[in-house]
Amino acid sequence: MRNLLTRLKRRWSDTDRARTDGGVDSTASFWERDVVRSAPFWLPPFLLIGLFVYGAVLWNIVLSLTSFTGLGSPDYGSLSLENYVIAFQGGVPSWSELTVSPIWNSAWNTVVLMVTFSVVCLALGLILAILVDQQIRFENTFRTIYLLPMSLSFVVTAKFWLYMYNPQTGLINIAVQSLGFQPVEIVQNPDLKLAAVAFALIWQFSGYAMIVYLAGLRAIPTGHFEAARVDGASTIRMYWRVIIPQLRTATVSALVVLTVFSLKAFDFLFSMYGGYQPGPSADILATRMVREAYANGNWAYGSTIAVILFVMALMIVTPYIYSQYKRGEL
Amino acid sequence: MSHETATPDDTTTRSLLGYPLRRIGLYLVLGAMAAFYLIPIETGLMTAITSPETYTGTHPYLPPLEPLIPGTGEFSLQPWGTAFEGLQSGLVNSLIMVIPATILSGLLGSMAAYGLTTISWRGQIGIYILFVAGIFIPYQAVLVPLTQFWYNVVPLRTLFEPIALTLPFVQEYHWKLVALTITHVAYGLPICTLLFRAHYKKLSDEMIEAARLDGASIYRIYRRIILPLSIPMFAVVFIYQFTQLWNDLLFALTIVQFGDAAVVTQELVGIGVSQSGTNFPLRMAAALLAALPTLLVYIVFGDKFAKGVAA
Amino acid sequence: MAELTLDGVTKVFTEDDGNEIVAVDEVSVDIQDGEFLVLVGPSGCGKSTTLRMVAGLESITSGEIRLAGNRINDKPPAERDIAMVFQSYALYPHMTVAENMSFGLEESTEMADDEISRIVDETTEMMGISDLRERKPADLSGGQQQRVALGRAIVRDPEAFLMDEPLSNLDAKLRATMRTELQRLQEELGVTTIYVTHDQTEAMTMGDRIAILDGGVLQQVGTPLECYHTPNNEFVAGFIGDPSMNFFEMDVDRNQLLGDLFEYPLTPAQQESVDEAREVTFGIRPEDIDIEVDGTVDSEFEFEVTVDVVEPRGDENTIHLTFDRDVDDPETFTATVSGLRQLQAGDAVVATFPPEAIHLFDVDSGAALHNRSLDVPEATEQLV
Repeated sequence: MRNLLTRLKRRWSDTDRARTDGGVDSTASFWERDVVRSAPFWLPPFLLIGLFVYGAVLWNIVLSLTSFTGLGSPDYGSLSLENYVIAFQGGVPSWSELTVSPIWNSAWNTVVLMVTFSVVCLALGLILAILVDQQIRFENTFRTIYLLPMSLSFVVTAKFWLYMYNPQTGLINIAVQSLGFQPVEIVQNPDLKLAAVAFALIWQFSGYAMIVYLAGLRAIPTGHFEAARVDGASTIRMYWRVIIPQLRTATVSALVVLTVFSLKAFDFLFSMYGGYQPGPSADILATRMVREAYANGNWAYGSTIAVILFVMALMIVTPYIYSQYKRGEL
Repeated sequence: MSHETATPDDTTTRSLLGYPLRRIGLYLVLGAMAAFYLIPIETGLMTAITSPETYTGTHPYLPPLEPLIPGTGEFSLQPWGTAFEGLQSGLVNSLIMVIPATILSGLLGSMAAYGLTTISWRGQIGIYILFVAGIFIPYQAVLVPLTQFWYNVVPLRTLFEPIALTLPFVQEYHWKLVALTITHVAYGLPICTLLFRAHYKKLSDEMIEAARLDGASIYRIYRRIILPLSIPMFAVVFIYQFTQLWNDLLFALTIVQFGDAAVVTQELVGIGVSQSGTNFPLRMAAALLAALPTLLVYIVFGDKFAKGVAA
Repeated sequence: MAELTLDGVTKVFTEDDGNEIVAVDEVSVDIQDGEFLVLVGPSGCGKSTTLRMVAGLESITSGEIRLAGNRINDKPPAERDIAMVFQSYALYPHMTVAENMSFGLEESTEMADDEISRIVDETTEMMGISDLRERKPADLSGGQQQRVALGRAIVRDPEAFLMDEPLSNLDAKLRATMRTELQRLQEELGVTTIYVTHDQTEAMTMGDRIAILDGGVLQQVGTPLECYHTPNNEFVAGFIGDPSMNFFEMDVDRNQLLGDLFEYPLTPAQQESVDEAREVTFGIRPEDIDIEVDGTVDSEFEFEVTVDVVEPRGDENTIHLTFDRDVDDPETFTATVSGLRQLQAGDAVVATFPPEAIHLFDVDSGAALHNRSLDVPEATEQLV
């Protein structure tokens, strides 16, 4: 106990850390302390974020405990976990006469999409990065082309791929037909929907994975490649055993960004299906949430789903930020 | 490999036309991948310059070369005209929103990074973690509160009315764009701060100390030393933010909903779908038109961006 | 008057886990107006920390620093009227040389622009960099950047200069040139200066006085020669001088010293200095050891030794000698002889340790018990 108190006291007292603190902090007046003098710089942004981001998140959590259905104002007086029960079990909530289904379907789709999308993106990005790293000519051109899809809005991507997937005029089906098969319905096909969505998203984001891996590859000293060669490793073995293990940091950072992106893939589905109803086999938590809130008017329930989505993101992001902090890389 | 010179073992064996087979294979794969990434865009472009009447959809990847190649349709720029008309107000609204939001989030991000990095004080890492965590918040988690905030809590609409009445060019519905701008600035701050912080960490500590010894105040150090040295990073941040904000759909749907203040992404969703079936040339033209600014930015400034992301 | 006084200055760092590190421990030095004091010591000895406390870049845990009689502990760096030259020069990369040098005056004074311009011009003339005024730091060589950093400090016309290893980033030749120039400059300007370095050669050649630090504790303050010939303790004796002093552990047996490698008689005066000690550390500088080839052991101060390694340095040769070459890893000591003498590994020679040149140190505390006599020795002929 005493140790803890001493440590707490030290943390807040005026003795200095083992790094320079800019001088006269400990003995200067309040207004001269660095934390105060720098406040005009970081405080407004911080307040902005505090209000709009964190304030909104907290408010959302509170809303999820109400039975708000869009009429009037939410009743903050009676809070309950009813929505969460419905989310996990389904049933008839107190604020509606219809049965509300649980979120398992959307959750499952979300996870499937997330995993497929991330893994394939990383794999594709890695291969591309390795190829681009081979001292090719026109490297800049290739890189720009691979990165181009990322510049597009989800809406634009959806339009392009709707076109590509079109049963009559889409390039995919033209190719299929030229091979002798019947044209396939893709976009409305429950079996292929999710895959089609994943494919389009991979098209859009693998360029990002490539960039991250490229930077990672370039950070590995030449010596490693050469030593592996001298040790007799074939190219594939060299990459597999020496290089790829060193790309762990790059993988983790790209993975975190990609998975969180996939949690947000709402924009794409909305544009693809012109609404909040992509159909059960492509319904992800994001679309479910917006549908419940805006189309069905079940605002509080929408908030509930949003909280679940938020927690999922948190579970991915917190270990990442923590490990970055511990390693001093923040 | 980034650093290997020519593969000597391969130049002697298996070569084609003097170039090692391996190299050719490499370029083939790279080319195929490039085609993969470009095809949807290219197809869209080809379709967009086909007149809607003659559009058949049999060879979408070919340019309209009727009557040379049957079924490809006739060349026409009409879809673009129609697209432009339809998207016009959206384009304007997007511009009105994106440009101030980008500049603001860049400036504020730079200031926040300065206050949290170059000046060191106890506890700042905790504040910074809150910034970083903000990057990963799924937007769904805040939609309902945001709607509540802008429509039921803050009377921005009523506050804005007098401004709309007095200033020219300013319409009443622009209040929604103001709300959207502010929201985007708040949500763009985390990533902008992160980017600037990475840059500021690399600046020489001794240089800042020298400036302090020279008598410069915290504000002066920012204005005379940090800001000029941040210019390369501003380019990266602006490119990134511009793209993010121009392409956003979700917040626009939530805050602007529909109507006069709709931005280009919103308008794009509904275009080209009519009773008589889908007008693909129009759709593609619209998509390309909407994507044009960001495509251009990436093509011209792609290098700078790639470098910044690598940080 | 710009005397700078450090009075019991102490700096304690507290780490995250509660550990306290005493980086600077009760350092007290009185620096006279216009004096060039060199703060020297091995890496981590606290010299940079001390300098930074004087600058105001580190807070002072306890003690006082006074400039011209006034306590400056609580003053922010900008108000201390002190200029600093950093190891990395710390020039502003986006400003020209002229702008770099004007910055301080613009930020901390109310001077008019043309007044500032005039001063900058004068200073660039003095530093010999007038034609570089419009260049940016990236376009300058290391030596030129260093001059700009110096010029930036001079322009402020401060009460004191602080220099943190300013020459360590330069190549050896340039360093030697800059050393002399710095000295000349400081004399001309007459500004009190604290100069931090880990290089004892710089300390010896540049300082009016040197202050030697080890582990945060001040070991000795004195003129270079004082520290060289009459070191306060074993650390100073070993730190100052290159090649460094030879040390042997010896037991005291009344009027002689007994060691593993040799025995050595003590004069009465030396016996008195040793007093009650049972063990001492015997020290003798390489240049005080006489080497005779084909000599004979004529006294108790002479010993038969073998040459192990010869390091020719041009002006002199550093000879590593050992009492017993047949051992696997022989213990060696160093002697310096004229560069013209040709000696080879394996040569058997006679080494003389003149009694007037030996130092004796307490084994536990390292304190000097007896230092060499400072009388000029009779000229001895060095036979080729």
